[in-house]
Amino acid sequence: MKKLYLGIVTLALLLGCGDNNASSDETSTTENEIEEISQQPGISDDLVKDILQAIPSPLEISTLIREVSQNYNPSVLNEASSSDNYTTNYSKAINLGIYGTDLGYANIYGKTQDAIKYLNSVRDLADGLSIGEFFDYSTMKRLADSSDNLDSLLLETTNNFNKINYHLRQQKREHLSILILTGGWVEAVYLTCLVHEQNNNQLLKEKIGEQKIVLDQILLVLDVYKSKPNFKGLIDDLTALQQVYDTIEIETVYAQPTTEEGPNGQLIVVDNTTSEVKVTNADVETITSLTKSIRNKMIR
Amino acid sequence: MKRILIVISAVAFFLLAQNASAQCNAELYINRAMKELSQGFQFSKSYRIDFRGGTRKKVEYTCVFSKDTNYQINIVSKDGSAYGLIGTLYDSKRNKIVTSYYNNKFMPGWTYKCRATGIYYLSFTYKDSKSFCGAAVLGFSR
Repeated sequence: MKKLYLGIVTLALLLGCGDNNASSDETSTTENEIEEISQQPGISDDLVKDILQAIPSPLEISTLIREVSQNYNPSVLNEASSSDNYTTNYSKAINLGIYGTDLGYANIYGKTQDAIKYLNSVRDLADGLSIGEFFDYSTMKRLADSSDNLDSLLLETTNNFNKINYHLRQQKREHLSILILTGGWVEAVYLTCLVHEQNNNQLLKEKIGEQKIVLDQILLVLDVYKSKPNFKGLIDDLTALQQVYDTIEIETVYAQPTTEEGPNGQLIVVDNTTSEVKVTNADVETITSLTKSIRNKMIR
Repeated sequence: MKRILIVISAVAFFLLAQNASAQCNAELYINRAMKELSQGFQFSKSYRIDFRGGTRKKVEYTCVFSKDTNYQINIVSKDGSAYGLIGTLYDSKRNKIVTSYYNNKFMPGWTYKCRATGIYYLSFTYKDSKSFCGAAVLGFSR
């Protein structure tokens, strides 16, 4: 009888603890990236996860860029062939995010051959971070072979990045998740700034200004991992950018929304609350300059 | 000794029950919800809704939405419809914008025409259901 009880207890403990094993993270460390699974006090684990989940997909910005400019400009993207240059987990994670945005940008313009190149770069870096299993490359390459599959490829890519971020959070490797998201975000803002320089478009200008909200979220999480290698430099750079954003205001005027039932059973809600992003040309110029500088430190 | 064994059994049962309630494979529902996105909407985020066997009353996510963008939320619960799951969207001041429990019906989601950039809260609760598991996806269109 006692053996039965002990068996149940052992089984329960094994099952109960299985989910929370922190993984061995740094499989190919070349710098002194000694990992500390515990995080800084002051912000809860749940809040970190919530903020990470809240950061919008760079695809939203890429879609706006596509709307504003017909010109696809591959020369401004990170070189797809440079993926071998990223040897630390820090640089791999940052550039995985950057390549993810570049992949989305190429996809949105229907440039399937470039998309395949960036898909390979993404695979290299994801493999290097031991998260390559979340990409089904054969399916993605098949989708990339035809521009007819653009929507499916975008969906597959976005879903894979979502899975990676979820997996990293579950594995308590959120510091890699925030680096991927930061890299993706910096690249998206960088591309927006470049297209705005050429087009002087009001929509892009406002989009650049409203990134104030996202940057605040990113810095909240980065600060949790400030003791990790390379994080301090990144935080300092983004804090300088935040100081420019501090002068930008987003004014909101509240009004009751209106809701109606659509023909297919979906509710349609119109938000009558409006907002205005108060951003000047000088703000955008400074943001462009700083973003270029930050991005140049990330790529090789 | 008997008392110790009872305590140990209770702990073991609790751990087993906790694990059983964690068997919410939201991935299945995410795929289903993605397929329900309307034409023109680009998939952006997925949200796992796990009430951990009813021990959690609410699952909430923070979102950053942009003005002049349409967002669509699709909700799928364990039986494939949205039955039993309620999604509610609040703005940053916690003003309710929309809830999927509309006219006493569980609606599968909503399309939201956003006109104000900011932080929003996407909250999920359950009603008349014991599945305690589901997912939602967010799509956007310009």
